[in-house]
Amino acid sequence: MNVLIVEDEKGLALEVDEFLSHEGFTVEHARTKKSAEEKIFVNNYDFILLDLGLPDGDGFDLLKMLKGLDKRDDAVIILTARGAVDDRVSGLEQGADDYLAKPFSLSELLARMHAITRRKHRLESNDINIKGLKVNIQNRTVMFNDERINLTKKEFEIFNYLVLNKNRVISRTNLTEHVWGDVLEINSDSNFVDVHVKNLRKKLSQYIPIDWFETVRSIGYRINI
Amino acid sequence: MKLQVKLALYNTLTKVAIILFTGLLILLSIEKISYNHIELRLENDKEQTLKNLSSSEISSILGDKKAYTDYNILKEEFITITQTKYNPEITREVKFTTETRDFDKYTQTYRILTHRLNFNGHTYILHIGVAIESVEELKSIIKKFTIVVLVIALVLTLISDLVFTKFLLAPFYKIIDRKLIKVNDPMNFDYQKIKTTTQDFELLDDSISSLMKKISNLFILEKQFIANVSHELLTPISIISSRLENILLHEELSEGSENKMHASLKTLNRLKSIINSLLLISKVENNQYDKADMVMIAAVVMEIQEELEDRIEERQLTFSNNLKYIYTIKGNRPLMHTLLFNLINNAIKYNNAGGAIIISDELKEGIYKVIISDTGTGMDKKQIENAFNRFEKLDTDEKESYGLGLAIVKSITTFHDIKVQINSVKGEGTTVTLIFNVPNPNLIAA
Repeated sequence: MNVLIVEDEKGLALEVDEFLSHEGFTVEHARTKKSAEEKIFVNNYDFILLDLGLPDGDGFDLLKMLKGLDKRDDAVIILTARGAVDDRVSGLEQGADDYLAKPFSLSELLARMHAITRRKHRLESNDINIKGLKVNIQNRTVMFNDERINLTKKEFEIFNYLVLNKNRVISRTNLTEHVWGDVLEINSDSNFVDVHVKNLRKKLSQYIPIDWFETVRSIGYRINI
Repeated sequence: MKLQVKLALYNTLTKVAIILFTGLLILLSIEKISYNHIELRLENDKEQTLKNLSSSEISSILGDKKAYTDYNILKEEFITITQTKYNPEITREVKFTTETRDFDKYTQTYRILTHRLNFNGHTYILHIGVAIESVEELKSIIKKFTIVVLVIALVLTLISDLVFTKFLLAPFYKIIDRKLIKVNDPMNFDYQKIKTTTQDFELLDDSISSLMKKISNLFILEKQFIANVSHELLTPISIISSRLENILLHEELSEGSENKMHASLKTLNRLKSIINSLLLISKVENNQYDKADMVMIAAVVMEIQEELEDRIEERQLTFSNNLKYIYTIKGNRPLMHTLLFNLINNAIKYNNAGGAIIISDELKEGIYKVIISDTGTGMDKKQIENAFNRFEKLDTDEKESYGLGLAIVKSITTFHDIKVQINSVKGEGTTVTLIFNVPNPNLIAA
């Protein structure tokens, strides 16, 4: 899967590049609107990560241009520090697939990219196997030997996010933001998420031992596989 | 009191004073002038009489009688000479009096000159009288006439004053109405000049316009500043946090370093929260949100209750939602959500384990109130006073309070013209009341 990062901040572009390369994506950069246009004309991308505030123009113009081209289904995720609500709305209205406000966490970016991939390709093989648990992202279910484990919506969200970012410590703050979104960016209480994790682990442990579901003290959680 | 009314009142009072003064002056002077006139005539008559007396024998006039009286036919004038006790001291003085005298059928008022004279070893008193009825009549006519003329003058000048001041002050009131009362936001200010030939009003108009221009420029600057700050601050934070995440992913770190990295990420997150909260406040204060949604309060509360269910359970709180009314306001839904979320979240945060949260409402005379009360730690007077200030933190076990939650509440309530009240007793709990539909004092026309 190839990704175009349209971002004038070199530092940020490099970090996103490093992270996504590590995840197996092929990454290209464009630091101006002009060079982004050239690249978009030449190549098809699976993902375009688009910053709105470019030195030589507005990212929205790029979005318009892209949507004007034939037979393109590049997924566009807008990354911007212009956290205005109307920016978000108009971005999505103009055909962006998702919107992330800076600063975002890389694991969140990855989760969103996966979600878009699933939506786009309607993957049937959406089952992820973990120690005998089948996580089906399409139906939002976790099965154990054809028996459905009864998880709440939020518990599933948390589990899915941790599985997606397996072998990585996910902090409480990061999890909280992923599950509750912006609503808690004010006075976010990180122990919000603990209750859910506690219940989630209780439910899973009724089926299999869950020593792979780690609590990393004072930081967060990790699923080791 | 309006300027126009004040001017009219002042005009009326001064005019009445002037008219009273001139009226009295005229009346008094009429009296004086007419009496003077009569007295001069009487003096002349006296001189004439004395001349006549010295040339003719007084005794022949008096005859054997002690007194001599003579009236003319219409009783307009009379003259009397009476003998009195002899007084050798001659006085030249003349005395004037006004007296009423009766005749066979009617009475007459006379101005009478009294003079004593010595003649041939006798003292006589000379009275010369002139009827002043006609003068009095004239006086009363003049009085009436004066009063009528003055009253008419008063009314006419008053009307003309009122009309003129109204005309004169019209631009002034236009300025006040169009440029001050009807403007709540400098962004949509009417810069059109008000037509006036009065220099001061032109100056006022220009000053207000230039002041508004300055303010709106500042607003625009602030908006740009906010947009820039958000971008300029959040971008570096974004870079650092991505960098830290990458280090955590790919580097072999000791546990201590890993913890430090995570702590740094948490700190960055805090920074992000503070910036975002400040941005939210500034954007709300700058009217960068629209108020086009119909927001049903009860629905928003239900939503928040679901969101916070787990926390309520975790802290073993009893949450009673006693909202009775389906009340809808025109506003911004995400903001209303944030507002109620912050308040309810505070009620959870500052509550004691096993405490209670009660949300109720009341509707009286079109005024709707939502009351959120908890049985938590409460606040003292000073804490309540400062509660809405930015970065005002309560001592709490919750480490993640930035002291901006209530500042956000304040800005959102102001934006929606909602009144907010806090009542609290230290150690017993806090009650926050949101009052909707309070008539906006800014919108009441003066």
